[in-house]
Amino acid sequence: MAETATASPARTADEIKRDPLVAAAVARAGDAITDAKEFAGEITLSVATDRIRDVAAAFKDDGFNYLVDLTGVDYSKYPNWKGARYGVAYMLYSFRKNARIRLKVFTDAAVPSVTSVWKTANWHERETFDMMGIFFEGHPNLERILMWEGFNGHPLRKDFPVRGIDTGARIYPEVFPEGGGPKAGSTGKDVKDVNLYKGEWKHFGTWPAASIAARAKAGTQQPPAPELAGQIAETAKPTEEAPWHDPDMPMAQRLELAKSGSLKDKLFAAMAQTDCTACGWDCEGYAAALTSGESKDATLCVPGEAETEMKLKELLAAAGK
Amino acid sequence: MFDVHEMEVNFGPQHPSTHGVLRVLLKIDGERIVDAKPIIGYLHRGTEKLFENMPYPQCIPHTDRMDYIAAATSNLGFVEAVEKLMGITGQIPKRAQLMRVMLSELQRISSHLLWLATHAIDIGAMTPFFYCFREREQVLDLFETYCGARLTLNCMRIGGMPDDLPPGWLDDLQAFVGTFDAAVDEYESLLTNNRIWKRRTVGIGVLSPEEAIEWGITGPPLRGTGLEWDLRRAQPYECYPELQFDIPVGKNGDTYDRYLVRMAEMRQSNRILEQCIPLIKQTPAGDIKAKISRVIRPPEGEVYHSIESPKGELGYYIVSDGKTQNAYRLRVRPPSFVNLQALPAMAKGHLVSDLVALIGTIDIVLGEVDR
Repeated sequence: MAETATASPARTADEIKRDPLVAAAVARAGDAITDAKEFAGEITLSVATDRIRDVAAAFKDDGFNYLVDLTGVDYSKYPNWKGARYGVAYMLYSFRKNARIRLKVFTDAAVPSVTSVWKTANWHERETFDMMGIFFEGHPNLERILMWEGFNGHPLRKDFPVRGIDTGARIYPEVFPEGGGPKAGSTGKDVKDVNLYKGEWKHFGTWPAASIAARAKAGTQQPPAPELAGQIAETAKPTEEAPWHDPDMPMAQRLELAKSGSLKDKLFAAMAQTDCTACGWDCEGYAAALTSGESKDATLCVPGEAETEMKLKELLAAAGK
Repeated sequence: MFDVHEMEVNFGPQHPSTHGVLRVLLKIDGERIVDAKPIIGYLHRGTEKLFENMPYPQCIPHTDRMDYIAAATSNLGFVEAVEKLMGITGQIPKRAQLMRVMLSELQRISSHLLWLATHAIDIGAMTPFFYCFREREQVLDLFETYCGARLTLNCMRIGGMPDDLPPGWLDDLQAFVGTFDAAVDEYESLLTNNRIWKRRTVGIGVLSPEEAIEWGITGPPLRGTGLEWDLRRAQPYECYPELQFDIPVGKNGDTYDRYLVRMAEMRQSNRILEQCIPLIKQTPAGDIKAKISRVIRPPEGEVYHSIESPKGELGYYIVSDGKTQNAYRLRVRPPSFVNLQALPAMAKGHLVSDLVALIGTIDIVLGEVDR
């Protein structure tokens, strides 16, 4: 899990492990429990990946006999993430104690299967394999479940494009380039067969299409990808010249800091401060472009939403632009 | 490979009794099922991927399209999960809570009515279909009066409800509640003691409580085995603790018991609605939304929250990175998907025609299975 503290000072890992709810099972699992977290009243125990089957069995014996859900998380785009790429979460419920807990393991490729502990894990693990490409060792029948056999990729990985890939069906040839479809004879089980589509992508009909196309035509800017809008760049940190350059700071405070600055500084402070480049610049660059008149469109800041857009228009109107 | 008498047959995907696009690969020996393998994914739309790429409020209409015959409960599970993540569960006004309960119980009734109509028609009883759709129409009219939609309701918001009840809505509801018990009697008079119905359902697809837990089964199929477990009672949400209702359970865990459980559940839902009407009249009109910021950016953390949908435990697992207005990962735990997994175990040894009864009794919605 991420190395950050939650809003309220929570119990320490050792205190959570001694919670009467989990203490008996934790004692049986021994040092396989590497960490414990609590959020919104839910206990999450991190488990050493290779020991998950024993730990699951220990919890099952201790009353957590119902595996509610099993799913994967791809942490590759998680801010400040250090550790293995994937997390697999096991939601357990105990009818006797009427309580839930969550086990979690982290891995880069494979996790031991818990189908021998719970029959219901079968389809959950197949789905996680299908969507994330995490392998479950010892699964009796690890094949795709929602996508078809031989599909080229794992859709819920963060690097899989939202708009989809060319599946070889050639439904929209003007959108999807040729190639990259499923390989003939692929079973989907060989890791080398299920790599992502690596070819070049055409940008088509994505928002804000008109302005991107116009700038691309003028040759001033590379067409950016709209997926960028959710990201926070490494450069999004306060500096001496721009103390407001902090995505977590509220807008009012940012504008207060930029109060005595130039128009560019004020515009810069009104941006979302994520440096996501969805508008085609970083935050400072977009402010400069608006000031110099290079860009006349004040609607391009996607993460800032209506708040930023209205403030930009207000500031530009006040400066007579 | 095969015994001389065995053969492999595709059941579906285009088969009227599969309630969507479910395909079951059957290995049969004459009429008897030796093995069954459900093949799903025909309705996969990547909803979870879409959830990661849009702000939380925009996800609500997409939850409608998962369990499309019980949209209100899909909405409820989602907004409650986000509220739990934001830590505002306790701030929802009483009136909004009651409205949520009323809409979900109406949804439970309409979902069970659709289940009964199609389940009966699959097995060969044509008449209940017309009776069920008569009342279901009234429920859908109530939804339409409230939010303008009949199926894809989009009727809840994070922090409360979108609109107050329109004038006269409670009177319409009262009229429906007053007649509904008699309507259930009518359906029961058609089926409960019907000899053909019993021959087709008693002893078909028996599940023991232990097996049901092993397969992760929830909802009416679990209660049909005799286990008294309902999330509305076990881990209550909204204002369910203040409401009186029973949890109907079966005894044998067969298709007939699951039928009885669902029939009794409709009566209990009606009972809940009856209690809600005087309660909601005591709450101030217009107090339907907690005071939360318009921009929803929950803190970093992960939550799992589940509710009792008409099909079983509907859970949402949200991982938030605390930076954006989108969920980092949003997983839906669909009850139909998990319940369907037990189909091969239930079908083994039965006739092909019983498979139709079993698919009906699990009450799957493929929109939710495939997402």
